[in-house]
Amino acid sequence: MNQELNESRRMIIDSAQKMFSDHCDKKLLDEAERGVFPETLWQIIVENGFNQLGAPGTETVPADLFAFIQLCGRYAVPAPIADTLLVNTWAGVNQQICGIGELRSDNSQASSADSFTIDEVVWGRRVSLVAAVTRGSNEVILVQNPHLVESSTNMAGEPMDTLQGSNQQVVAVQADPYAQVALSRINLIAGSLQTLLDLGLQFATERSQFGRTISKFQAIQHSLAVVAAEVAASKRAADAAVDAIGDPRFVFEVAASKARVGEAVGIVAEQVHQIHGAMGFTHEHRLHHFSRRCWAWRDSWGNEFYWQSLLGAHLASLGADHLWDFIATRS
Amino acid sequence: MLQFDRVSLAPETQRLRAQVREFLAEESAHFPKPNSDFVTGYDVEFSRKLALRGWIGMTWPKQYGGAERSFFERYVVTEELLAAGAPVSAHWIADRQSGPLLLRFGTQAQRQKYLPGITSGVDFFSIGMSEPDTGSDLASVRTTAVKDGGSYRINGTKIWTTDAHRNRYIICLVRTSAVSEIRHAGLSQIIVDLHNDGAQVRPIANMAGGEDFNEVVFEDVMVPADRIIGEPGSGWEQVTSELAYERSGPERFLSSFRVFVELVRACGPKPQPHQCAAIGRIASHIMTLRRMSISVAGMLQLQGNQENQDVGVEAALVKELGNSFEKVLPEIARLALDTDKLSNVFRETYEETMLLTPSFTLRGGTREILRGVIARGLGLR
Repeated sequence: MNQELNESRRMIIDSAQKMFSDHCDKKLLDEAERGVFPETLWQIIVENGFNQLGAPGTETVPADLFAFIQLCGRYAVPAPIADTLLVNTWAGVNQQICGIGELRSDNSQASSADSFTIDEVVWGRRVSLVAAVTRGSNEVILVQNPHLVESSTNMAGEPMDTLQGSNQQVVAVQADPYAQVALSRINLIAGSLQTLLDLGLQFATERSQFGRTISKFQAIQHSLAVVAAEVAASKRAADAAVDAIGDPRFVFEVAASKARVGEAVGIVAEQVHQIHGAMGFTHEHRLHHFSRRCWAWRDSWGNEFYWQSLLGAHLASLGADHLWDFIATRS
Repeated sequence: MLQFDRVSLAPETQRLRAQVREFLAEESAHFPKPNSDFVTGYDVEFSRKLALRGWIGMTWPKQYGGAERSFFERYVVTEELLAAGAPVSAHWIADRQSGPLLLRFGTQAQRQKYLPGITSGVDFFSIGMSEPDTGSDLASVRTTAVKDGGSYRINGTKIWTTDAHRNRYIICLVRTSAVSEIRHAGLSQIIVDLHNDGAQVRPIANMAGGEDFNEVVFEDVMVPADRIIGEPGSGWEQVTSELAYERSGPERFLSSFRVFVELVRACGPKPQPHQCAAIGRIASHIMTLRRMSISVAGMLQLQGNQENQDVGVEAALVKELGNSFEKVLPEIARLALDTDKLSNVFRETYEETMLLTPSFTLRGGTREILRGVIARGLGLR
């Protein structure tokens, strides 16, 4: 990778990391779960221009954007920052809070012919611009000032709302938009999995039982070794999918990545919760903010089965004797 | 912290890959049954053909018969051979492990004596680490090599030594001075000529019906003193270093690859949804493991360029993840198919591989040892 690019990305991530460690704590996560939007944090994100990362006209690239999203996962940032970033790259930079949802295919419930229903929009109640995405389509429908039809939350306590509104603009996005949103979830998961590992390591080296820290027990060591392997695989899979932006096989790289990362979630969350014992099962502990998000994200924008099937169908159509060529073509 | 850099195989490897595929397309007519397990398929003629093309000892200096090519180029050749299920067992250990060991720790005379035999596909090597009472606890080896004039007198037994009944040499981990407070001290590695030095080799049949590994007995076997690799007493440092090379290659996640190929063939161009998912699931793991493995190859390349990165923990992690997955692959494949209606080709490939799977998480360091290495890397031990 270009050394200069690497350096500038490191600076972005370092300053973002400082911002999140100062402003994104357990208290903020709890408040967000009670429905309080993190106004101050959002303002700081916007003031520092982090909402423009990767957008055209800035001096940043999509890989910067996804590195930042991975960091958001690491801190479980309770705001629709990933969706806002993506909409900014599709619609041009604006300063609004943006959302993304799937366009409801059965549109009969919409109030008029030119009205769209968009499901499962993170913080939909707060967004002023929403992008409606359809599986397999490169067209994104942008809806300005949508209205809230139904509010709900996912298993991580993140607001997930249904919105309606009229067509404002249709934009054609180069890289498959559904896969791009999945890619943002991949990176959120990869970041959160890293935190789960960190929390597991921290707990194991602090908690003492039978006269020694539990990190000295082989069972715990092996459990954390398994977790570390899954986290490393997830990070590598996430990076590989980001690097495939612009490649004709982008969708298949996202498929492999989301499927792999989704499998890691089950293993990592289970092991790290087991290590934490009852303490990790309390609401007071911050562990669940990360494990619940991972569980929610692995099911959003295509679960493992969806992406495995998509990739598998493609490989089957290539045939057994072209399988290896597909795998070896990109590293 | 563990690191798997974004590393891509350089564009110049493309031509090489095409050459390897062209070669394999011709050769595959003479293969026995394709099998991606690197221990299965011992074919001296095939190894010699690879040597003629410069594909053994590829990264080594030209003065020893090497081709001075990059780790990435070697990676391309090895993964193509494994994916095609080529019979690579004869030269595999010499190419991957024994040669690099001699390059790093051997004397000039040793390099000159042994490396050209490897790169020309004439001499093959075995590894003599395990003993009847020494498996994972390698520092407990009891085989001794005692200085006797200008020679070493070797006594003891090595076991699970792959291909010792047909390879020319074995490199043994032996005790050259008595056990002391420091368990890892007093160990050395020594080269024994299996054809001429008088070691007794007894093949051990494995549960899969193969006879690859052996027991090698040394009773007053005398070898010249210049067979010791590097300084006497540096054996432990050598084996831990070579294990990093050994652990992260494509042979650590591709062993059951042919089962995947036959699964896709058996499913046909329009599989059922659960079959598509099984195929995609396997692919998602292989694609990720391959990239992690290439990341380590990239770090080894840097190490070759004197940047001195220690990749021991990352290599152990790739092996642990890869071995576990190559065991799961046949499980996913069999459940994707209607077992009553299996094609003969799938069944044969699956059964042959399934019988080998227990060895995947044993050879080259057990799962338990690897998890210990990773835990140490995480600061837990």
